[in-house]
Amino acid sequence: MDSNLKAIYESIVEGDNAGVQANVKVALEAGLPAGTILNDGLIAGMSEVGRLFEEGEYFVPEMLISARAMKSAMAILKPLLSAGEVGAAGKVLIGTVKGDLHDIGKNLVGLMLEGAGFQVIDLGSDVSAEKFIEATKEHAPDIVAMSALLTTTMVNMRSAITALQEAGLRGKVKIMIGGAPVTEAFAQQIGADGYAADASRAVATAKALLN
Amino acid sequence: MPKKILVNLQPIGRRVEVDPGTNLLEAAQRAGVEVVASCGGVGICSTCKMRVVEGKVTSPTLTEEEELGQELLAAGFRLACQTEPLENVRVEIPPESLVAGQRVQVEGREGQVSFDPAVAAVDLDLSAPSLEDLRADMTRVNQELARQGYPPLTGSAALLGELSLFLRRSGWKARIAIRPGPASSELVSVLPHGARIAGLAMDIGSTKLAIFLLDLQDGAILYQGGVMNPQISFGEDVVSRIAYANKGDAERKQLQERLVESINQTLAELCQKEGICQDQIVDVVAVGNTAIHHFFTGLPVEPLGEAPYTPVVADALNFPARQIGLQVAAGAYVYLPPNIAGYVGADHVSALVATRSYINNAHTSLLVDIGTNTEISLIHQGRVLSCSCASGPAFEGAHIRDGMRAAPGAIERIHIEDGAVRPVTIQGQPAVGICGSGILNAVAEMLDARVLNDRGVLNGKDARVRQVNAKAEFLLVPAGDTGHGRDIVVTRRDVNELQLAKSAIRGGLEILMKEADIPIEAIDDFIVAGAFGTYLDLNSALRVGMFPRLPVGRFHQVGNAAGVGARQMLLSRAVRQEAERIVGGVEYVELTTYPRFHDVFVEFMYFEP
Repeated sequence: MDSNLKAIYESIVEGDNAGVQANVKVALEAGLPAGTILNDGLIAGMSEVGRLFEEGEYFVPEMLISARAMKSAMAILKPLLSAGEVGAAGKVLIGTVKGDLHDIGKNLVGLMLEGAGFQVIDLGSDVSAEKFIEATKEHAPDIVAMSALLTTTMVNMRSAITALQEAGLRGKVKIMIGGAPVTEAFAQQIGADGYAADASRAVATAKALLN
Repeated sequence: MPKKILVNLQPIGRRVEVDPGTNLLEAAQRAGVEVVASCGGVGICSTCKMRVVEGKVTSPTLTEEEELGQELLAAGFRLACQTEPLENVRVEIPPESLVAGQRVQVEGREGQVSFDPAVAAVDLDLSAPSLEDLRADMTRVNQELARQGYPPLTGSAALLGELSLFLRRSGWKARIAIRPGPASSELVSVLPHGARIAGLAMDIGSTKLAIFLLDLQDGAILYQGGVMNPQISFGEDVVSRIAYANKGDAERKQLQERLVESINQTLAELCQKEGICQDQIVDVVAVGNTAIHHFFTGLPVEPLGEAPYTPVVADALNFPARQIGLQVAAGAYVYLPPNIAGYVGADHVSALVATRSYINNAHTSLLVDIGTNTEISLIHQGRVLSCSCASGPAFEGAHIRDGMRAAPGAIERIHIEDGAVRPVTIQGQPAVGICGSGILNAVAEMLDARVLNDRGVLNGKDARVRQVNAKAEFLLVPAGDTGHGRDIVVTRRDVNELQLAKSAIRGGLEILMKEADIPIEAIDDFIVAGAFGTYLDLNSALRVGMFPRLPVGRFHQVGNAAGVGARQMLLSRAVRQEAERIVGGVEYVELTTYPRFHDVFVEFMYFEP
């Protein structure tokens, strides 16, 4: 592997925010294409982070820290990437459901998906069913991903799915859900297509849904 | 192999997995919970009774029908030794069935307040009516009140009638408790001449309830004690209880009734012990977080469960205690100080009031009350900035592999020396789990002993670190030395839970400082309130980075400040006004939508090397 790419890969795995920014700049100056830096540096690094998480070596703190490094590197790369290079894996619309302002988990899932090559459109938190519908019409995503952290707001996932159904959009997208109080059983009960217990498994779920 | 059944024991907060065919008494014992079973579990006494709140169990035996009777059985009570769970169950163990009470903190550092209670006692010694003196009974009373400097009496016809009957039976002597106002005195209670009047102050926590009975003539504490909040059976954290209450009016009412029922029961017991009657309890102050405040007063809680998490009532409340079924004097009121926001409630206001002796304009102070939600206030140059951090239930012992609440047998401290681990448990009993202060201390010790690195990863080379199902864990107490015959460990996931909790608290604190635009070192007084805050080891909190490294002398662990504030508000109307004044100027900072919160939160995730 190119030593520049290796440095980027390692700073992502280490969660070194300043390091990854510096290394990306060095790689660009050395003439490496942005697409290569994305795929072989950032995405490869995040996939290693995901693997370490699966193995129990990494936990949420490491994922958050690596994801933050990924995010700041993406900010540098994004303007340089061509349309085809971003989001080759698929397009995901993501948001925390109505009534819920907790977005740390949702942000992490978004970054992990981005780190796995998805194009992620983040609707933020407290997203109403109407907003999900509008954005689905506008962006035509492959997947709509919803998050809730509170026992009191997870019920709003059901209403969002129902609303998508009534708007005639349900057949056009896959829906995946997650968040602390959410379970596989709940996902089945409300008619979601997929459930992920954590940000790493969210990547696997998203990939499986599009296969 | 048949599937294991999960038994959730409340309010002690222990969970245990058992094989089908295990009865509830065996399950409790296996979990290390000591239950009274006078007969040794053969069903001939009823000391091990428990209430099955959720899940299917075997049908009542004939013994149970005999020992408990239909009424108790209908209410869900069962004999633990006769009842086997058929699926995952939740069981409530009543206090009388527990051998040793859980530790409930009630004390707190007292401050000086002006003595100015809302209710006064007036002794009446009147002359009887005669053909020469045809004044009405109440005219007689009012003229005597005027002579003593009080405005005339108002009150319900029933209570005024009771006063008349009492005067006529007792030779025209009585003591009345009145709530004096500018134009009239409201009759609160009719008592024998010279009887003591008392007030009730309560700090209603999500898990524990601290109760104080105070003499309203000299301010002395007559009784203090604690009981568990019975609402735990409907959800361990307030959000689950809100979800339960949202099911319907009946469920919401149930949460209120169970709480009031428990308070009344405690009052009845303590009145008997102190030799007073409920008519002598003439005023009540209650504090709690916003959700508890709403449950207690019967307000709807839907708005608290969904963004933007606004309270139904923020202003102070003062209403007749009988309206919510509190068994105190007929005319007594219950006062609740104002709430700041959906997740910064009247209990935090009460703590602010109680710690105001630390707070003067020359000082910059920080007040932290740690719980599932941690409330923080920064007092700086006349400003008060407050926020609420989602620190999670780790410090309550939840989400921790061997976690439990602070109760006998909980490990509260550990010492690691040359690879040997020495645990210290509450009341010195054999270890059955780790409480919140124990997990904090354990992580700090493990960092110092290099069992943990700065990321929170366990050192695989340490002799006590082992891999179970490819997950690393640190052996704290081996099975042979524990109270339940199973290993007690700290897992990587437990450390992770602590990291999330401590950076939530530290992140909130840092953002308040940023909002006020002052550096951390500017904090003159760092006040740590609440039960967990009292028992936590300060050095551990500094070691893991939950608190900033300020000189140790600036920290004050003040105990149950909310309880102290409730007592002060019971004794002084001026303190109530102070609470209302403080809240009027609070600047509330919502962290979940704060632009840099995520970054600050992540920044404090790791430990210092």
